[in-house]
Amino acid sequence: MKISLEKIENNTAHLKFEVDEEQFEKAMEQAYRKNVKRFAIPGFRRGKAPRKLIEMHYGPEVFYEDAAEIILPQAYQQGVEEYHLEPVDQPRYDIEQIEKGKPMIAKAEVTVRPEVKLKEYKGLEVEKVVYNVTEEDVEKELAAIQEKNARLVAVEDRPACKGDIAVIDFDGKIDDKPFEGGKAENYPLELGSGAFVDGFEDQVVGMNPGEKKEISVTFPEDYKVESLAGKSAVFSVTLKELKKKELSPLDDEFAKDVSEFDTLEELKNDIRNKLVQRAKAIEEGSLKSSIIDKLMKTTEVDIPHVMIHREIDRLIMDFAINLKMRGYDLKTYMEATKITPEEFRAKFHEKAHVNVKSSLILEEVARREGITVTDEETDAEIKKYADLANKTVEEYKNNLKPEDISGIKDTILTKKIFDFLISNAKITEKKLEDIKNEQEQGNFADEEEHTGSEEAQVQNATNE
Amino acid sequence: MRDPHDIILRPWITEKTMDMKPYKKYVFVVDKNSNKTEIKNAVESIFGVKVEKVNTINMRGKKKRLGIHEGKRPDWKKAIVTLKKDSKAIEFFEAL
Repeated sequence: MKISLEKIENNTAHLKFEVDEEQFEKAMEQAYRKNVKRFAIPGFRRGKAPRKLIEMHYGPEVFYEDAAEIILPQAYQQGVEEYHLEPVDQPRYDIEQIEKGKPMIAKAEVTVRPEVKLKEYKGLEVEKVVYNVTEEDVEKELAAIQEKNARLVAVEDRPACKGDIAVIDFDGKIDDKPFEGGKAENYPLELGSGAFVDGFEDQVVGMNPGEKKEISVTFPEDYKVESLAGKSAVFSVTLKELKKKELSPLDDEFAKDVSEFDTLEELKNDIRNKLVQRAKAIEEGSLKSSIIDKLMKTTEVDIPHVMIHREIDRLIMDFAINLKMRGYDLKTYMEATKITPEEFRAKFHEKAHVNVKSSLILEEVARREGITVTDEETDAEIKKYADLANKTVEEYKNNLKPEDISGIKDTILTKKIFDFLISNAKITEKKLEDIKNEQEQGNFADEEEHTGSEEAQVQNATNE
Repeated sequence: MRDPHDIILRPWITEKTMDMKPYKKYVFVVDKNSNKTEIKNAVESIFGVKVEKVNTINMRGKKKRLGIHEGKRPDWKKAIVTLKKDSKAIEFFEAL
């Protein structure tokens, strides 16, 4: 078999194969073995007919396709190894000559990994967002816990005011007719929460426990139940009970109630540790993303379409899984948002581009620096997971599929690449507050925007 | 004399007859009215081989029915031709 690499252009490699008669004959024989069962020839049971008879009956072409299918992937594999190609897609074959007793000539086209024109990747000047956990943050977190564990205490000596929980019976009528969802008993309504139609809660304010009152409201024009939109309704409301939230004092007793700790000090320490950990993770994340951002800007890659499309497919799959977990599926989602599949794909295009480019860059760095993952490192990582799952390493390993292990390897590799990049980068530290100020002034470039969203995460995290 | 191709009508190719090839036995459908000597001569002249012996079997045509109309396929004659040990094989069969 002769294999030649004709050319590589636009990230596409063109291979040419010349398979000699002998090998082709062998492939034909294999194709015959594979297919005999399909051919019925009078005088023979299925699968017993000689190959020549089948070829006489149906023409020798019957086996060409299968023979090509057998021989081409082998030839292609050999070609890939011979010319050190890095394909990112399935090859497309083009058969030029296939005839019994003659050499078979075929071509293959395959998209290969693009050349990554990586510029400087050592000594990158990046900013690191430093987030120091303050006592204030701890207090805030503690207050949130306090709020969550607030007790409800009955109030009897005053009328209802905002922030109270009013337990009410209500019976609503439009034009003296009851309507669906217009009646309930012992319904706990937090006044000022905005759970009910505008104006309803305001009118409950001021009622005394035990009092009865007629409340009339008008449903807004854009109310989600169409049959009610724009209508006026009269509710007869009885305020049965009035409760208010009472925060328990912050002391050791409280700590015992809400956590496994005995003293308030311990609880505070725990909260602080958690916050510090979170801040660290965010710091690291922002550092990584700013490194990637820098590299993305300086690197030129001509990314083949297949790679992007495959990434889009993957992203959509993730998205679909996410929807499934919330009890929807992709089709209903698209119908509900009135989006065509094409538009939907287009939405993911940019993200896919970023993902593919960044992973190409990281791979290129790993290649140039010879960063690899050894089996020992993989085993050590698996051991960590196994310890977490309280299993022995062997037990845990047996449950892993090969793709899980390669996934673990990838994770380690990515971590190592980042470690390398970070240790070779010039890092300037930047306080979170500075970024805030910059944002307020409204002059921030892409990077700061990115770290800005990290900051939002910090806030979300602390508010939790 | 009749043309040998009018005596030897066609080969009888089945799994069984394929298995008989190594024993130098070849099976043909032959003219119903031909006899063993005629068959022997015809095979020798068509394929250029030496024939040891010929066995013939008269085959009954199958009865076929289409609704109430009963019919019958024609009867035919099958000949098993054994070649002499030193004879060459019949090329046509060997190609199968």
